[in-house]
Amino acid sequence: MKIVVAVKLVPDANAEKRIDSETKRLVRTGVETVLNPFDEYAIEGALQLKERLAAAPGSAEPATVTVFSMAPESAREVLRKALAMGADDAVLLTDAGLQGSDVWATAYAVAAALKKVGFDLVVTGGLADDGNTGGVPGALAEYLGVPGLTNARAIEVADGKLKVQRETDTGYQVVTGPMPALVSVTMAIGEPRYASLKGIMGAKKKTITTISLAELGLDRAVGSDGAKTEVRELAAPPVRGKGRIVEASDGAQGAQVIFDYLKEKKLV
Amino acid sequence: MKNVIVFVEHSGGQTRKVTFELATQARRLADALGGEARAVVLGAGAQALVEQLKAYPLDVIAYAEDPDVDTFLLDPAVDYLVAVAQSAGPSVVLLPNTMLGRDLAGRLTARLGAAMAGDVTGIEVDGGSVACVSPKLGGKVVTTCAFKNADYGVVTIRPNSFTATAGGTGARTAQIEKPAGKSYAMVVERNVEEASSELGLEEAPVVIAGGRGMGGPEPFTSLLKPLANAFGGAVGASRAAADAGWVPYGLQIGQTGKTVSPQLYIGVGISGAIQHKVGMQTAGTIVAVNKDGTVPMGDFADLLVVGDLFTIVPELTKLVERAKAQA
Ligand SMILES: Cc1cc2nc3c(=O)[nH]c(=O)nc-3n(C[C@H](O)[C@H](O)[C@H](O)COP(=O)(O)OP(=O)(O)OC[C@H]3O[C@@H](n4cnc5c(N)ncnc54)[C@H](O)[C@@H]3O)c2cc1C
Ligand SMILES: Nc1ncnc2c1ncn2[C@@H]1O[C@H](COP(=O)(O)O)[C@@H](O)[C@H]1O
Repeated sequence: MKIVVAVKLVPDANAEKRIDSETKRLVRTGVETVLNPFDEYAIEGALQLKERLAAAPGSAEPATVTVFSMAPESAREVLRKALAMGADDAVLLTDAGLQGSDVWATAYAVAAALKKVGFDLVVTGGLADDGNTGGVPGALAEYLGVPGLTNARAIEVADGKLKVQRETDTGYQVVTGPMPALVSVTMAIGEPRYASLKGIMGAKKKTITTISLAELGLDRAVGSDGAKTEVRELAAPPVRGKGRIVEASDGAQGAQVIFDYLKEKKLV
Repeated sequence: MKNVIVFVEHSGGQTRKVTFELATQARRLADALGGEARAVVLGAGAQALVEQLKAYPLDVIAYAEDPDVDTFLLDPAVDYLVAVAQSAGPSVVLLPNTMLGRDLAGRLTARLGAAMAGDVTGIEVDGGSVACVSPKLGGKVVTTCAFKNADYGVVTIRPNSFTATAGGTGARTAQIEKPAGKSYAMVVERNVEEASSELGLEEAPVVIAGGRGMGGPEPFTSLLKPLANAFGGAVGASRAAADAGWVPYGLQIGQTGKTVSPQLYIGVGISGAIQHKVGMQTAGTIVAVNKDGTVPMGDFADLLVVGDLFTIVPELTKLVERAKAQA
């Protein structure tokens, strides 16, 4: 069984972000690129599934985990991290013509690439840290023409069928579907593992294949030409200043300080 | 893009405030675009909701009380939404920025070849073209994103970003025809309820969040829940609390959890790490209770009270309950 994890590379959320006042673009220099935090959970979910399948009695061919990303060439180093966690190999869709892709264009190009790579199961994160859209997994399922089981907190494969616990606002649903399929995961799938020293050494020998745009033979434009959205403006958010800090002498007094403040703000 | 379509998220006919926020925005946008505001309600309880929706300024309320919508995952809902969008012609589809809203938005983006904007907190029409404002990169940048090259725009809207204003305009109701010859493969075998379903965290007007300082699962129920109830709000948590297994992950607020934008956020025993802050920094008012006066929370909270949460929270609950009883 071939499991492919689609991961996005994003600027480190903890780094200071600066907007160039001339170009109105984000200053990217000096900001580290990292694996989208949610996608570490996707990798973890895929690796757990691989391990469970290997341990299952009478399991046929072993499962493999391939990490896939559409990203600039410089993403190689970040993909090594996924390989160090335990993925078997990696594929990078990289091309200058992909720059400026939005949700639609990303899903369109990634779907074509995933079809080329081949898969029984695609695993994704739920939300990318930079754009905050969460649109790619659903759009991918459509373009791949496979069931999209979203927000999984547990994934099981039995008799060629997929069974997931799908998180909802109030609990979860048990959902089944045929394979091939796409599953997006939530963080309840399990804390992402750290790469071991052996994993890190081993990752150096694993292959990272690249695919270019031309190889996909897409019939619609992607990148900024094909994108259906364009960023018109970037602005700094309103700053939240330091407020009041009050020492409470006891519980009742501390509560009274809060209550009076909320009253002043007409919140009680 | 001319018409505006609102997806009504609900559970058995129970919907939330965000639906009415979307309906109110749909009216404003439809007027600016010279089109109609239409709502779509699907699945069990849809018909009952139609009456409630009539109190909002919509032109059309389309519904399908079809059990398939609840029996099968996402696919039937996507088909109905696509059918409504295609019959409306070029339009903007508004969904809440919730788990379900995002799932459907992605599917519609592909099916309609649409422009998509996520986690939107402002939306404008400028010379017939639609532009969406949303915080990106953990709220460190606010972008304005315009739609181009597309007949459809799909927008997920952050709950509590707009006010809901009632005012019916005599909406027509219409039953949506079932798409013919479809069979669905993703089966919802069962639903398991873990948390009480009164209010979604993302939509709650008041959020009381607990962190590692709560010390265990029990104070979430005995201390925070009563305070949340007194405000008519919901309980949330930091990742430290969710990781410890004190609350379900669904309550986690932050970078790898939910984004909330309530009128009032009270953080109890939470230090206010950057990854938590990105999930709650757009709250109207931020109050924190912490025994340490030097925590990051102090840099952006409107009020930080330094003291023991175990003595402050019960007293605060009493004060709020008393005020409510007197009102
Ligand atoms: C990739 C990544 C993603 C992350 N995503 C998230 C996320 O989505 N959400 C999130 O919240 N975090 C997230 N984190 C974790 C984050 O960095 C912090 O570790 C976490 O928010 C800390 O939770 P806390 O404030 O509850 O715990 P702590 O930082 O341990 O703070 C507990 C606070 O309670 C106070 N306290 C203790 N006892 C009392 C008492 N009796 N009375 C009053 N105060 C008391 C202490 O003074 C302390 O300030 C993420 C981290 C990473 C690396
Ligand atoms: N460029 C990309 N390459 C591979 N996977 C992606 C890419 N962009 C998004 N994804 C996947 O889609 C998920 C949601 O991203 P988004 O829709 O951008 O919020 C991520 O967690 C990834 O799993």
